[in-house]
Amino acid sequence: MTKPAAVRERLASATRATRHQKEWFHGIAERARAGEPYVLANADAPHEIMRAIGLPYVVNQWWSSIIAAKGAADASLAAVAATGLPDDSRQYDVLPLGALELPAERAPWGGLPAPRFAIAERSGDVTHKIFERWGRREGTETFLLSRTAAVPAPEGWWDLVPTRWEEVFGAERIDFLRDEIAELVAWLEERTGSELDRAELARIMALANEQAEWNRRTRDLLATARPLPVEVTDIIPAVMVPQWHRGTQWAVDAARGLHDEVAARIEARAAVCPDERRRLMWIGRGVWGDLELYRAFQEEFGAVFVWSMYLAIAADGYVRYGDDPLRTLAARFVGITDLLYVPPMSSSWYAKEAVEHGVDGVVHLVADDTPGSALITAELERRGIPVLEIRGSNADPRATGDLRERIAGFLRDRVPARADGR
Amino acid sequence: MTAVIPLIAVVGNDVPRQLVLAAGARPHRLTGAWDAPDAEAQELLGATDAAASHILAELRRDAHGFAGVVVCGDSQAHVRLFYALRATGASLPVHLLDLPREDSVPARRFGRFQLESLVDFCAGVTGRRPGTDALREAAAAEQRLGQALDALRARRRADPPRCTGADALAAYLAASRLDPAAALAVVDAARSTTAEDAVRVHMTGSNHPDASIYRALEARGCVVTGEDHDTGDGAWLGVAVDSGDLDTVIDGLLDAHFARTGASSTEFAAARAALTVATSQEDGADAVAALIRDLDEAPLWDLADQSEGLAARGIRLVVRSRVRGGDAVDAAAELAEELREAVAA
Repeated sequence: MTKPAAVRERLASATRATRHQKEWFHGIAERARAGEPYVLANADAPHEIMRAIGLPYVVNQWWSSIIAAKGAADASLAAVAATGLPDDSRQYDVLPLGALELPAERAPWGGLPAPRFAIAERSGDVTHKIFERWGRREGTETFLLSRTAAVPAPEGWWDLVPTRWEEVFGAERIDFLRDEIAELVAWLEERTGSELDRAELARIMALANEQAEWNRRTRDLLATARPLPVEVTDIIPAVMVPQWHRGTQWAVDAARGLHDEVAARIEARAAVCPDERRRLMWIGRGVWGDLELYRAFQEEFGAVFVWSMYLAIAADGYVRYGDDPLRTLAARFVGITDLLYVPPMSSSWYAKEAVEHGVDGVVHLVADDTPGSALITAELERRGIPVLEIRGSNADPRATGDLRERIAGFLRDRVPARADGR
Repeated sequence: MTAVIPLIAVVGNDVPRQLVLAAGARPHRLTGAWDAPDAEAQELLGATDAAASHILAELRRDAHGFAGVVVCGDSQAHVRLFYALRATGASLPVHLLDLPREDSVPARRFGRFQLESLVDFCAGVTGRRPGTDALREAAAAEQRLGQALDALRARRRADPPRCTGADALAAYLAASRLDPAAALAVVDAARSTTAEDAVRVHMTGSNHPDASIYRALEARGCVVTGEDHDTGDGAWLGVAVDSGDLDTVIDGLLDAHFARTGASSTEFAAARAALTVATSQEDGADAVAALIRDLDEAPLWDLADQSEGLAARGIRLVVRSRVRGGDAVDAAAELAEELREAVAA
């Protein structure tokens, strides 16, 4: 067998995706400045509706990630605090509200004008209050969908959600969200004069499923690839940018392009770290302000991050097949964050992913708003996989200052190098 | 021989007691404590305030001989508590009551399903479905309690108050744990005198799991004449629908649910602020105090609106936030001093 070849160049899929996103963003921002409406939508809102109606949308958490990555988090949080709101609560959700107050020269990518509509699910104790603030702005209206709790919450959901989603989430919860999505549709139709074309929605749903199927193939390739052929920091934009364009042919093509590029790297025995000795899983949101963190342990420890939730949930969490596009869409979103955070759904899934990816250790970033962390950690430890739990917000630079030292200590103390070097 | 009435533990403030009573059980609300968090329970819950950890610890100890547990989805802490109980294999039957917050046709449909499921759960615990007579009797008992609570509120709002805040809060908490007749007696008996020059305080912020903070404030020249948190005036007690038909009762209870202003974790800041302003005026408050536990995020987001609304009416808002478990009595002492200074100024 040939020796693994070190690969340093960025994935073309990642470069293409970030370039596309920047161009797309500038287009939206420019049209918004000219008075065209757009939607600010939380990540767990049913974006497919906006797409089918023809309303552009910006994902709140994606925009937060850009604000953090461009070093504007502190200034944005200060702007939030200046209005009397807390700056140490729900930072990831509130950064765009603060960034709105930044002068254009300090705002990432020139900033984003206020949206015409702000749409979210009422998750946790505070999201509705953040979106209440959006709705108070001149020219912005808010629509909130209800969030129901995870009853039931079966293990092994990943095999059921494509077609047997009713067993996973419960018919009443799905019906409730379907009815609220129908109300959202009517609300948008009334305000925009556009009408939802159900056939178009069905086409968008089909494209989204096609995209998810490519993501599943890519995830499966990476699970068995040794050594790791692609940086996780390349995988994340290559998956997540198309995720926010879910339901377009561009997104399907991007997901397929990523798959093909990963397959080619595996075929070429490419290695992020040819001396790979420790395979790590990152549970939690990405630390967008310090992406170098994910490469920082290769030289000293031969440690590579082989997994993040972004590709994995794109592979397992989104695919839904069904005849009624509105109800099928409700089934996509009714419990999507529960899959990540509610035990035993979450804990069984992370354990499955860790085993399939041959993970030696886990870094678990626990934000205040994410439940179930102790049970996720306990399940992984029970299976003999050491876990480092770190509490803090990924979007708040003040909370993640000593991450490198803590991870290095964890690797030294709890994650032995593989004797076979694989 | 008197039949033993099964006790159903209640976590949160959404359970209509009429349905539980009519099913032959007694609801017993758990509210936790101001103390430092229970370490093991806190580990299971993650970032939730200390009160929730005490509730979880109490349930895991099962000291009261509960026959079942109903957890309300009225805060993230409570939802987490439900998930933790379910995932750790609680020995008790556990049920989540997940009521929507904003009134709409779909929300009523789901709310109806939730209340019907609550009835099924209680009936499963007691072996008795609520019949016509039981629904009417439970309604009458709850309504008598409601009238007694109205009278208690009037005593607190009198000048000078004829019941201290600490005694009133203790009565509220007892009422949420006792059968209606005993609750009525406790509430009727809540009468006490206060100093005429005591600073009249309306309490907002986190709910109060016990009366220790009120006692601390009232020992320092204040009297709490009312509150808008959900273990005091905001507790869902004394609400019932006078009917023997379960569908009618559920419809009426949903009307009441959607009509009330809920806890901070479920409401918009504007609605919470409007409630604080209105009730503090009804209480004749000289000032409003907010004591907010560490990791109880929602009330933090109300402060800006509350402050603005109260300032417009010349009422001072005094705040202690991020109060850690075990530090609350000290924080109350500081609050009392600041309240007295604010009113004197």
